[in-house]
Amino acid sequence: MSGTLSPPPSSPAPPPEPPEGVTRAAEEASFYHEAALNAAWTGVRLAIGGLSFGFGCFVFAYFYLRSLNSHGMWHPAGFKGPQPWAGALIMALVVVSALLQYLGLTRIKGGHKRPWQLAALAALALGLAAVGLQVWELLNLRFQPGSAGFASVFTGATPVFLIIVLGALIWLETLIMRARAVPAISFVEQPPTYAEAFAVQRFQAGLSAFTVLWNYLAVIAIVFWVLFYVTA
Amino acid sequence: MTVELQPGKPQEPGGRVPGGRQPEPGPPRSPRAWWRRPAVHTGVAGAVLGYLLGHLLGNFIAHGYSQVQNSGQNDYAIVLGYVLGTVGWLAGLGVFNDLLRQLAGRPVHAAEEAGDSSSGLARYFRYSLDHKVVGLQYLVGMIGYFLTGGLLAMAIRTELLSPSTHVFSSAAYTEIVGEHGTMMMMMLSSIILGPLGNYLMPLMIGSKRMAFPRIEALSFWLTPAAYLILLSGLMFGGFPFGWTGYAPLSVEATQGADAYAVAFGVMGISLILLGFNIIVTIVCYRAPGMRWSRLPIFVWAILTTSFLMVLAAPVLVGGMYMMITDRTVQTAFFTSDLGGSSYLWENLFWFFGHPEVYILALPGFGIVCEILPVFCRKPLFGYRIAAAGMVGVTLLSFFVWQHHLFDSGINPDMRPVFMLTTELISIPTGFIFLVALGTFWKAKIRFSVPMLFALGFYFNFLIGGISGVFLSDVPADTTEHGTFFVMAHFHYTIMGGLVFAFMGGLYYWLPKMMGIELNQKLGKIHFWTMFVFFNSTFLPLFAVGMAGQPRRVYTYARSLETLNDWVSISAFLLGGSILVFVINFVWSTVIARVPAPGNPWRSRGLEWQIPSPPPPGNFTVVPVVLSGPYEYGVAGAPPVADLDPPLGVISRDSLGDAAEQVEV
Repeated sequence: MSGTLSPPPSSPAPPPEPPEGVTRAAEEASFYHEAALNAAWTGVRLAIGGLSFGFGCFVFAYFYLRSLNSHGMWHPAGFKGPQPWAGALIMALVVVSALLQYLGLTRIKGGHKRPWQLAALAALALGLAAVGLQVWELLNLRFQPGSAGFASVFTGATPVFLIIVLGALIWLETLIMRARAVPAISFVEQPPTYAEAFAVQRFQAGLSAFTVLWNYLAVIAIVFWVLFYVTA
Repeated sequence: MTVELQPGKPQEPGGRVPGGRQPEPGPPRSPRAWWRRPAVHTGVAGAVLGYLLGHLLGNFIAHGYSQVQNSGQNDYAIVLGYVLGTVGWLAGLGVFNDLLRQLAGRPVHAAEEAGDSSSGLARYFRYSLDHKVVGLQYLVGMIGYFLTGGLLAMAIRTELLSPSTHVFSSAAYTEIVGEHGTMMMMMLSSIILGPLGNYLMPLMIGSKRMAFPRIEALSFWLTPAAYLILLSGLMFGGFPFGWTGYAPLSVEATQGADAYAVAFGVMGISLILLGFNIIVTIVCYRAPGMRWSRLPIFVWAILTTSFLMVLAAPVLVGGMYMMITDRTVQTAFFTSDLGGSSYLWENLFWFFGHPEVYILALPGFGIVCEILPVFCRKPLFGYRIAAAGMVGVTLLSFFVWQHHLFDSGINPDMRPVFMLTTELISIPTGFIFLVALGTFWKAKIRFSVPMLFALGFYFNFLIGGISGVFLSDVPADTTEHGTFFVMAHFHYTIMGGLVFAFMGGLYYWLPKMMGIELNQKLGKIHFWTMFVFFNSTFLPLFAVGMAGQPRRVYTYARSLETLNDWVSISAFLLGGSILVFVINFVWSTVIARVPAPGNPWRSRGLEWQIPSPPPPGNFTVVPVVLSGPYEYGVAGAPPVADLDPPLGVISRDSLGDAAEQVEV
């Protein structure tokens, strides 16, 4: 086996000398560190693709049932939909939370850890408020879940959105807790060790990935608000 | 902030810098007694507690609801029991431990360190983060699924021995058919990517690890939960609607339908996680020099399949969720009187269901294309065509689902469009056959067991594929819809295709995975009996279907009894051939344990260039890939990889593209 594995003897250009101080372990750690950063970037975008198909089946159900309007029961006369103020507030809470988090990200990229921590805590609180309000709304619906096509889609779709938002907020909470272990100076200056530098970079990759997801969920909040409260 | 990859000070991972700050080490891992460590036994305890809690909660919530009082069945209790049982199962296995640590701000161990350090059988019963352990867990799990589904198939054929003397009642027969179909579809979606994809893909791309090992392990541990939930449906009267779950029957059925919806939904989540992890690993963790044009064709197959899983399975999960809400909180997604529509289910289900067909087919294509060049000792003909064909199938598979609705309400004007897209998809599928023909051309073929199964795949899939083109034609479909003809068609593609490819892959890669060779003589007996009896079982069913025998009905016209008896006896013998495989598997891996040579097939695959079974970490150092894996018989072909590249070559950032630097 080894015969097929040795470096090719006819290599036209021998590999360059490694930089001083580079060891095998450092080289591999660097390789897999970069892969992990790329994985965060790729993973969140892929997750958004999958989530889009998941939310998409509710959007499809919305338009499909609305178009069919079976027995005139999509939105029958006298049907009272969900509270408009609650929908607007839930959407606004998520959107403001995403904006705050995005602004916080720009601050931490500029080397300011504390402003991001405050922004992230505020974003977390607003997100949790949105979840709480959504739960309250579902517990106080003005219609029966099966009383209309619209009612079914609303009652089915909103808990799914709620669960995904809650999952994202759990991610944000872990990021806030992770950030506590990273010295503020590490966001300004080069940390003295690879391990610390890698930890900071991985944190930042995770934070960037989360922000992409949270912004996406804010867009979904707007889409759902338009579908369920504006055009219903 | 910008962090330089090479800080000015001399340092190395772990930060051992004289006088510098040292990183905080994680807490030491204290060994605990086996019964205190999370494993299957704690998982079972968690599942039982979770189920009981969910059941009580469901009874508490719904005891006053009129639909519960009127029907006498409480779907809330069943569904909440299943859901919390699954959560308890995962919690008992320790799936949430790291998440809880992170939530509390405590450090977690890196995946490489967090894996179960125990050796031997114990690690296969734990939430292991080693992709090789997960691969073998999947292998045993999927074989368990397969054997259960196979026994149910035997029960079906026993009932169909006679149109008038019945072993089962019609209701029981329908339950068995539903369990068989659903179990097989759930299992076959994972049967390649779970065991072979998880185990082999990192080896084939030159990686030491998966991108998200926790997600990988989670994807496996959901499958036993789905299996048990699905089987438990039999205790609640099963489900009378087969694997397709058509509404409104599925909404009105007894509580067995809850088992169907939750089990299929859980399996859907597993598929999403499985595909997600595989895609990210292939995209981000390829070894230096492993360009897209050098990617093994099997990896292309599982990559495209994974995209189908990540994008199509969420729609399955969404559909199952809607069914559950219709059955519990009384939404009306699928009830037309209340503003819903049963066609909504058909659209959602088949939007997943047809890509599902290619989730089953593509990995099989990948395996046989991987095997052919090894046993023909020739480069794979049309490598790029094969990869492009897989991508083409993936894209087109999202545009054909309406052909399942040709006979059930589709606007007639739309039929030609979906007939065309369906026929179009046969073109990239045909690429796979062109690749085979080109590779066979003037080859000196070695008829080893894996190659026999690959050839069997091509024979069977040809029949399955051609009958599929026939069925995509609207008039033919209208005639044969709902008959055994359709059943024979998809068994030719799934069992004749995927299962044959899986068996070929198992005989091919098991020496790599376990360091043990399966007995070749028993393997040949297994192949020939399986090939003959498979065709003997399913070929006559085309005739039976054309004669009008409907699926899912436990009786039939007396004139078809001879053919049905022939089929049933063949099916029992086919089951016997699977028994030969089980005997071979147990004999070879447990009793005889004959060590396999390092590279028994003289393959150029990267996975074969390391010891068998692979050591922890797979490779001593990150390899540098130098050439493609199929350059058999090519004069002056460079070695496939450098497993001990010079220092400084693999660091892409600091030293540039490694492959360019050692290119030959």
